[in-house]
Amino acid sequence: MDPVSTATASPSGLLLAGSVAAIAASLWLLLPKASDTVASRRLGFLLGAVALVGFAATGRSLGSVGEDAVFLTVAGIAVISGLATIVTRSPVYSAIWFAMTLAGVSGVLLVLGAQFLGVATIVVYAGAILVMFLFVLMLAQPSGMAPYDRVSNEPMLAAAAGAVLLGLLTLSIGRLSAAEPPSCCRMPSRAQAVAAAAPADGAAAKADESTTLIAPAMAGGDTGDANEVAHLGAELFGRHLFAVEVAGVLLLVALVGAIAVVSRGEATETDHRREGR
Amino acid sequence: MNLLPSAATLAALVKIGLLVGGLMTAAAYLVLLERWIAAWVQDRRGPNRVGIPLTKVKLFGLGQPLADGLKIILKEDFTPSGVDRVLYNAAPLVILAASLAIFAAIPFGSVLPPLGIPGIPDPVPFLVAPGLDVGVLWVFALSSIAVYGVLLGGWASNNKYGFLGGLRSSAQLVAYEIPLGLGLLGVVLAAGSLRLDTIMNAQAETGVWYAFAQPLGFIVFMVASFAEAARLPFDLPEAEQELVGGYHTEYSGIKLLLFLVAEFLHMITAAFLIVILFLGGWHLWGVTGSSQEIGWIQALLRFGILSGKILGVIVFFMLVRWSWPRFRFDQLMNLAWKVMLPLGLVNLVTVAAVEEFRPQLVAALGPGFAGAVAIALPWIACLVGWLVAGVFTPSGTDNTPILTHDPLDIEREMAEHERLERAPHDVSPTLAGSR
Repeated sequence: MDPVSTATASPSGLLLAGSVAAIAASLWLLLPKASDTVASRRLGFLLGAVALVGFAATGRSLGSVGEDAVFLTVAGIAVISGLATIVTRSPVYSAIWFAMTLAGVSGVLLVLGAQFLGVATIVVYAGAILVMFLFVLMLAQPSGMAPYDRVSNEPMLAAAAGAVLLGLLTLSIGRLSAAEPPSCCRMPSRAQAVAAAAPADGAAAKADESTTLIAPAMAGGDTGDANEVAHLGAELFGRHLFAVEVAGVLLLVALVGAIAVVSRGEATETDHRREGR
Repeated sequence: MNLLPSAATLAALVKIGLLVGGLMTAAAYLVLLERWIAAWVQDRRGPNRVGIPLTKVKLFGLGQPLADGLKIILKEDFTPSGVDRVLYNAAPLVILAASLAIFAAIPFGSVLPPLGIPGIPDPVPFLVAPGLDVGVLWVFALSSIAVYGVLLGGWASNNKYGFLGGLRSSAQLVAYEIPLGLGLLGVVLAAGSLRLDTIMNAQAETGVWYAFAQPLGFIVFMVASFAEAARLPFDLPEAEQELVGGYHTEYSGIKLLLFLVAEFLHMITAAFLIVILFLGGWHLWGVTGSSQEIGWIQALLRFGILSGKILGVIVFFMLVRWSWPRFRFDQLMNLAWKVMLPLGLVNLVTVAAVEEFRPQLVAALGPGFAGAVAIALPWIACLVGWLVAGVFTPSGTDNTPILTHDPLDIEREMAEHERLERAPHDVSPTLAGSR
């Protein structure tokens, strides 16, 4: 049975196909081109809004109105800022929209109960990497850019490829999650979380933590439980220790390489200065 | 479908209201305290005139924050031409919002005695977001968001002083985040939790504050949090004498107020973290126990002790301001990368070793003596690390240029020398041609 054909036959499949087409057209209109007009950009925004509403309508409710509202807000922030990141022409604004995307993604992770991932996204990407981006972008004044640096190279291909990828991902993830009960990844209410966390407080819990924490970590990757970070740590430094170490060595090599490149650059700079004298 | 807020939501809103109100008032009165301390250090009188409005009651100048606040709010909110308007307006909001949101994860007391209100689990903690399991990381994440406010404010102002301030600030904050994190990791490792309330409870249980168990970590964290709060001697981002006001040079009126309040909130955050992580939080020997089932007197006492300690750390911040001159930028970076980072690593390794072998120590030496050894080892590491750092790190205090004797450099010098030696033979072909 062909999953795509059955999906397009149903109303939700038609909705999805329409949303994909709309987002493709919207992206093509919005991506920076030499021939942009105000009207084409307005049409692009309109189509994009229609597509986003379409995508939101293909989704399922998380359970309550409040949860849906929070999720749609943070997810909307992530998606709209993601679009703005590639659509805006100023590199500094691009970076800031990307920071907003990360904030939205982190919000989605927090809503779904993956606290560590949500906060780590902010610390690593928004806090360290993107600040460096901004630093460099601000040092290299963007006003001196040539016109061809300000437009998208292949707007039509990029828009089409992005929209097709988006449609396929939505379809396959929708199929995957349809098999599971919708409450699988909901965050427990605050009261439940407190009740779960209360016995873990204090040093008494800490003493036997090494024995009790590893066992449930192996049992399943639950999100939103009180010892989530401990489970994550046990997984990372237990089952995936080798991968973590390899990544660490790789980063160290990159760091040493960066320092080597920088110090060589300094030497040639001195050379130039001396030759100029 | 229930659209009414639940009791837990209402409780959180009450806590948020109390916290934000308390923090704003505290920030206003800490400005007054800072001016008093500055005056005391400099042998002046300081602000002592403004009392109750419309009367002649002076009250030692306690009305000063009200007058200051009214003045700065009513001032003209001037936007210079040539600024990037969107970012110029957004920057103060970003920095203040991030600085306030940090406090969602910071406990400001212990717990309340059981209230018995349906829908709210007892005991009620003095913490806005008790379900957050990653409190320490949350603080880190939002303080790194606050960097955006500084960076964007400096850039959007279209002013060279502002821009330099923003760049300096981002470089400084990114550099000192690493020693800050290393100092903090030792505590997280010892307490076995990323929750700040659990870390306080762990210190109360043992009675050993982490400042005593990890002296090196305490020093590293303290220095790094001074730098993160951009307080003197680390106030290069604003450096009035060099950069006028740094990233907020072009701001005036209420936007400037937002920046200044955010700066004070950074200092308050730093004081909270120092007290909670290293100085035992609400714990004081012989006064507070470690139990979670307490009465009203004990609850208020713990709140008072925590606040008192925080006030003490803030006064320390303010005294340091008038005791040390500002660093030069290369000294600042040397201190971060060549002194604080290695010391932080030494601390982390020592703490990890002590925590790893603690069961064996207890088994071999008995609990009392093992505890003494577990405290003595980090102190030895601290002394050795400090001595090594003091002897071997380059001294950046004199202003003579550092002469590097790079072998490549000497070769180049010699080549240049030889070229000059040869020079008289092939000088200026024009001269040779004319001859």
